[in-house]
Amino acid sequence: METKRQIVAFGGGGFSMESGNPLLDDFVVATTGLKKPRVCFLPTASGDADHYLVRFYNAFRERGEASHISLFRRERGAASIRDHLLSQDLIYVGGGSVISMLGVWRAHGLDLILREAWERGIVLCGLSAGSLCWFEECVTTYQKETSVTIGLGFLPWSNQVHFELGSPAHRAFEQKLGEGLRPGYTATDGAAFHFIDTELAQVVASRPEARAYRIELKGDRPKTTQLATRYLGSPDHVPLVEDSPIPWSSTPIQA
Amino acid sequence: MKGRILVMGGHEFDRLDGNEAICDHIIELTGGRKPEVCLLPTASGDPSDQISRFRRSFGSRGCEVSDVSLFRLGANPIDVSAHLMRQDVIYVGGGSLVNLVAVWKPHGIAGLITDCLEQGVMVVGQSAGAMCWFEAGITSSSGRPEPALGLGMLEGSLCVHYHRDPGRREKYLSEVGRNIAPGYGADDQTGLLFEDGEMVEAFSAREGAGVWRVSAEGGRAVEKPVEVVDIRPGPGSASPGSPVDDFRALNKWRKSAGTRG
Repeated sequence: METKRQIVAFGGGGFSMESGNPLLDDFVVATTGLKKPRVCFLPTASGDADHYLVRFYNAFRERGEASHISLFRRERGAASIRDHLLSQDLIYVGGGSVISMLGVWRAHGLDLILREAWERGIVLCGLSAGSLCWFEECVTTYQKETSVTIGLGFLPWSNQVHFELGSPAHRAFEQKLGEGLRPGYTATDGAAFHFIDTELAQVVASRPEARAYRIELKGDRPKTTQLATRYLGSPDHVPLVEDSPIPWSSTPIQA
Repeated sequence: MKGRILVMGGHEFDRLDGNEAICDHIIELTGGRKPEVCLLPTASGDPSDQISRFRRSFGSRGCEVSDVSLFRLGANPIDVSAHLMRQDVIYVGGGSLVNLVAVWKPHGIAGLITDCLEQGVMVVGQSAGAMCWFEAGITSSSGRPEPALGLGMLEGSLCVHYHRDPGRREKYLSEVGRNIAPGYGADDQTGLLFEDGEMVEAFSAREGAGVWRVSAEGGRAVEKPVEVVDIRPGPGSASPGSPVDDFRALNKWRKSAGTRG
């Protein structure tokens, strides 16, 4: 059987943001195909915050064999990060600062280990920084300034999280496309992209109103396309939108 | 490297006598009554308990305290450059040397701090926050004591928690002259003050705690004790006329007399 490389990237959501709504976390567990998968949490983007670890264990203790890796307290953790990560079924990456997280990961060689894990079929998932990191280019906004950070590049697209249609961050994303940013995917809180290999297989959502989009340049104009989204809350849910361009006009790019 | 950097072998924000004396000493070094002191807790991931202990420790001394948490900038956006430049003291906390260097790099913090040092902001650091200024240090960032690269703003190397972590000192002595440049070994509650890249003062705030100059002679590391000023509060030792002042006066004189290399 051929190994499937899988990434589930949340615009926002899961136990970190949707207390009481288990849908996205149930979904990532289901993608492993196992009843009780081994799940390792990477809270690096939060600086390995204790309260975040507690919330992870509360959410995943019952769902599988839960563990975590703290790169700030290696003297107390697993002797070999690589062995530990490669023995997992699911690696779950928390939110926080994507720039700080990528810096720490590279210093400890996690960029290479995570690629190996992905290629072996271990499901990778996460929200916020834990979504951005898998892409080639991470589009973030800080103090009204939008910048592009180079991610791990497993997915050859750009990504923006906590998306809001028509927001300044959306316009800035479009602006970046005009400056050479690669086409990308963006999702609101509650929506998640499920990639198989490097192609988008489906979009799932933990809330009926959650949305996901593909943003690209058509000619010299940015185009935002709403993607069909499957709401995980009802088993017979039929996607409402069939990848149709949304009736929403973008401003032309200012050079 | 222009400016003043105070590095410490170990310092906690607690009520331990030596640690209290060090806080007082730092404030004294700024010459200001109510200095602005900003904590950079990057090396341990910006934990809130370290931040609140820092705030209590320096806040209770009348300092204006703040912190820059690079892991939480999204939730608390500030102009990092302007904020750091305003400070009298930037205090860099301990934790993982490897992570500190790795996180600071994409945020450009070393460059910002270089500018601050040139403008007269004093930089203080303990443990990882002390070793980071040197070319190299001995860190447990990866579990066991190993050499790791610092920012190289000060020449040579530093090994912290010198006698508290026997493995660290052992590793340092085996690496100096082979894989890392000579430097200093510093116990907890000791410190070394560098001015424009030169060591001008070493102090100890705990009985028996010392500083060693570690050099390589014939391929072997050799330790020589460094003379330290005792900054423990003693009967009637309050400034002026404290050993620290004498030491500084002596150094000033040496400097002006041009006898220092």
